[in-house]
Formats: sequence, structure tokens, C-alpha cells
Amino acid sequence: MRKYFIFLLLFFFQLIGCQSEGGPSPQEAVAAPVSQASAQTQGNELDVRLPLEQQSVRFAVIGDSGTGDRPQYEVAQQMELYRQKVGFDFVLMLGDNIYGGHRPKDFLNKFERPYKPLLDAGVKFYAVLGNHDDPNDERLYKPFNMNGERYYTFRKGDVSFFALDRTYMDPNQLEWVEQNLKSSKSKWKISYFHHPLYSDGKSHGPDLDLRARLAPLFKQYGVKAVFSGHEHVYERLKPEDNIYYFILGNSAKLMTHDFKSSQQMEKALDTEQGFMLVEISGDRLHYQTISRRGETVDSGKVEQQSRSSVAAAQAQ
Amino acid sequence: MLLRSIIGSGICMLLASGNLLSQTGENQKQDPILKDFEARVNNYLELRKKEAGSPPRPTNSADKLAQNRSQMAGKVREVRSEAKQGDIFTPEIANYFRHQTSASLSGPNGNKIRASLHHAEPVDGVALKVNEPYPQGMPLQSIPPTLLSTLPRLPKELQYRIVGSNLALHDTASNLIVDFISNAIPTP
Repeated sequence: MRKYFIFLLLFFFQLIGCQSEGGPSPQEAVAAPVSQASAQTQGNELDVRLPLEQQSVRFAVIGDSGTGDRPQYEVAQQMELYRQKVGFDFVLMLGDNIYGGHRPKDFLNKFERPYKPLLDAGVKFYAVLGNHDDPNDERLYKPFNMNGERYYTFRKGDVSFFALDRTYMDPNQLEWVEQNLKSSKSKWKISYFHHPLYSDGKSHGPDLDLRARLAPLFKQYGVKAVFSGHEHVYERLKPEDNIYYFILGNSAKLMTHDFKSSQQMEKALDTEQGFMLVEISGDRLHYQTISRRGETVDSGKVEQQSRSSVAAAQAQ
Repeated sequence: MLLRSIIGSGICMLLASGNLLSQTGENQKQDPILKDFEARVNNYLELRKKEAGSPPRPTNSADKLAQNRSQMAGKVREVRSEAKQGDIFTPEIANYFRHQTSASLSGPNGNKIRASLHHAEPVDGVALKVNEPYPQGMPLQSIPPTLLSTLPRLPKELQYRIVGSNLALHDTASNLIVDFISNAIPTP
């Protein structure tokens, strides 16, 4: 009888959300893969705003994710729920993948455990380095798919990805960026790195020196979308030179009320953690940004101008 | 007078752009200070390779990563137990670096570089010691690309790191501070 009473009491506390502020222990999070946040989504139909076309390229994006705290686990749970529906098979990691130390238990608690369902499903992670990352251990850590390099490129369908190391943008890397962008024949060119070129965040703001170096290359060689983290918010900016800039530095960390007023901001979120889904098919890139509670906070599409339409526009 | 001033400004701008001496290989090879720096860097890497072997390959095991680093750092620290500040950054080389950073920060891109430094979460309060590890868990301040472009290129095993007003030479595989220059980054 006493055992029954204690069980009821524990159940009651769980129900009213009487949980510690410090986030779950990793064991808790794994043992209970559907938390309150994800249960909310599970009760309803998932809100998927991607077309889910055949043979499209689908991926997720996370940034500043490696805290090991509860929000990271909750975002990860949402990602798994959406993966089951959307079927993305890789994730871009925008840096600050492992905060704090880089001991084996940090890799476990801040990457392997939260994303275990995704990893078990064969989802690949493609990381870039942030200022909190270890430039040696992370590039050598196979699950980050950096193949021992600080910067690299890979291709999925007709999309080429250029993963850059903003923490150390030396002349060698700048030359590599230009050569690889120039030689890429992909219809879509997407770059991602930690520090944003444009940002309305109050904490850090844009990296002007980096922008002066990279933005002209992106324009010249037809990069269409750029993803960055560092600022612990979500922001979609008005396109600059027809390039779409997204900031997603809130996949675990969060800086609340961190925006300054701006003309260049299209959509922003600084009150909740989240991640992004992207689907690219033909001339269209669709995006959907989802909070850790499963709410869609932004969605839309980017159209790639075909060569013939550009030629037609120029002719007019 | 005006002509002299224009020529003077032009020379300052070229120096500030940093590409006169540091980046285009030929000049770098000809400058004795830079040749000396390059030789010292190469000596370090040869010593490291001889004592600690080649850098490890990618692995799935975080335990293995920690083990590899610890082994490499242990061997390098042992063989360089007498290392001291100035072994790589001799006074002449340190002066060259200070000149480069100063010219960059006071040049036409100075404000942008300073803004970029601020953007990259400055790291302060770390007491650097030669042949000691960079503190675990401490972020690495990103260096603005314009500033990096004014410094001599390094082999990929090594990176420059700004820590407070100091410029360190960081061996990323062993996580050791190879050497550093005090007060290399002038305050505004």
C-alpha cells in the first residue's frame, strides 16, 4: 500500500512538471525518449510544411547544440519525431557542438546520447567548428564526418555543401573556398560555418571582417543559402545579393530577448530553442523551423533562378 | 609635401594590408626574420614527429582521441622540458609580429578587425605557459581573417591564437602552447 502511495506521489509530481531546472541526467533523457515537450507534439499530427517530393535532398540543421542540458535533449527528441515523418538522412551542425571539456563523457552526454535515435537510424552529422569546439578532437571524431579536416565539401544530389572553419579563416582556407566554389557544378551551393555574416543579435552581431572576405565569393560563385550559429537565437534575414542567410544558434543554448530592431530581419525567435528542416527539390529549397515544443516558428521557400530565367531577366 | 604624404599613406596602407612581407611566398622566403621563424617552426614539428609520431587518424572512439592526445602531449612536453618563451618567437620575430598586428589594427581595416575580435568572444584571464596545455573547456577566440592574412602562414598542425593581448602558437593535436608573444595585440 505504501509503495502504491509513493508511486502515485511520484506520478503526480511528474504530471505537474515538478522537474529540476538543471535539465535531465542523460540517463533520464534516454530512458524517457518522449518527454513532456515531445508528448505535446505526439498527441497531435506533426505539422510538416515540406512538400516531401520524391528524390529530394532533405536534411536538418542545428547550431550551438552541445550543452548536454535538457533543451538539447528535447530538441533532439523533436528531431527524431520529425525524422520519422520527413525522412531526412543528415544533419548540419553549425558549431559549438561540444561545450566545455572534451572528455569522452562530454562526447557521450552532449552528442551520442541526445542524438542516439537519429544515429541508430543511420542519420549522418556533418559538423563545423565553433569557438567552443576542440579543433583537433572534433575533426578526428568520425561521427562528425569531418574526415580529419577543418573545412571540407560534400555533395548530396544536386546540392554541394561547403563546411567552413570560421574560427581560423586563414589564407589557405580562403583560397580553398574560392577554388571549390568556382569548380562546383552543382545547381545548389550551400555554405555553413559558425559565425554569422549578418545578424541582429545584441550579444555578438555580424562578423564584418569575415563578411568582407566571404560575401563577395558567395555572390560571385552562386551560393544560395548560408547557415550560421554563434548567436543563440533563430533569425532569417532578408536576402543580400540574392543569398539567404539563416542563423540557428539556439538548438540548446538560448539568449532570450537578444535582438535589436532591424530592417534586415525577416523572422526571428529568441524565446525558444529549435532546429530547422530543409528540403531541396529542383529549383526550390523549402525550410521549416521548429521549436523544442514542436511548434513551427517559420517556414517558406527559396527559389533558384534557372539560367534561362536569369538570361530572360537580363534581356528585358 | 602633399606628394610625400600621399606616398607615405600608400606605403602604410600596403603594410597594413599585410601582404608585402608575409603572404606571397617569395618575399617570405627572402626575409631573414621570416626564414628564421619558418626554420624554428619546422624544427618544432620535426621534433614532434620524431618523438610523438604522426598525428592520429579519425576514430569513432572519444576515449581513443583523449588517449592519443595525452600520449602526444606527454612525449612533446618531456622532450621540450627546457622550452621557454622566446624559443620560437625570438625578440626579432616577436617585433615583426607586433609590427604586423599594429599595422593591421591601425590601418584602413582596423575598425572591422576590432569589431570582429569583439564578435568572437575574447578570451582573457588565461595565464599562458610554454609547453603547457591550452586550458580544457576554454573557448578559442577566432582571429579575423584580415589579421591572419598579415601573419606568416603556418603548417596545418599549428595555429595562431589570441589570448587577451597575447598571441600564442598552438599545437592543436597535442593542445600545447608552443610559444607566445606578450602584448602582441595593441589595445585601442
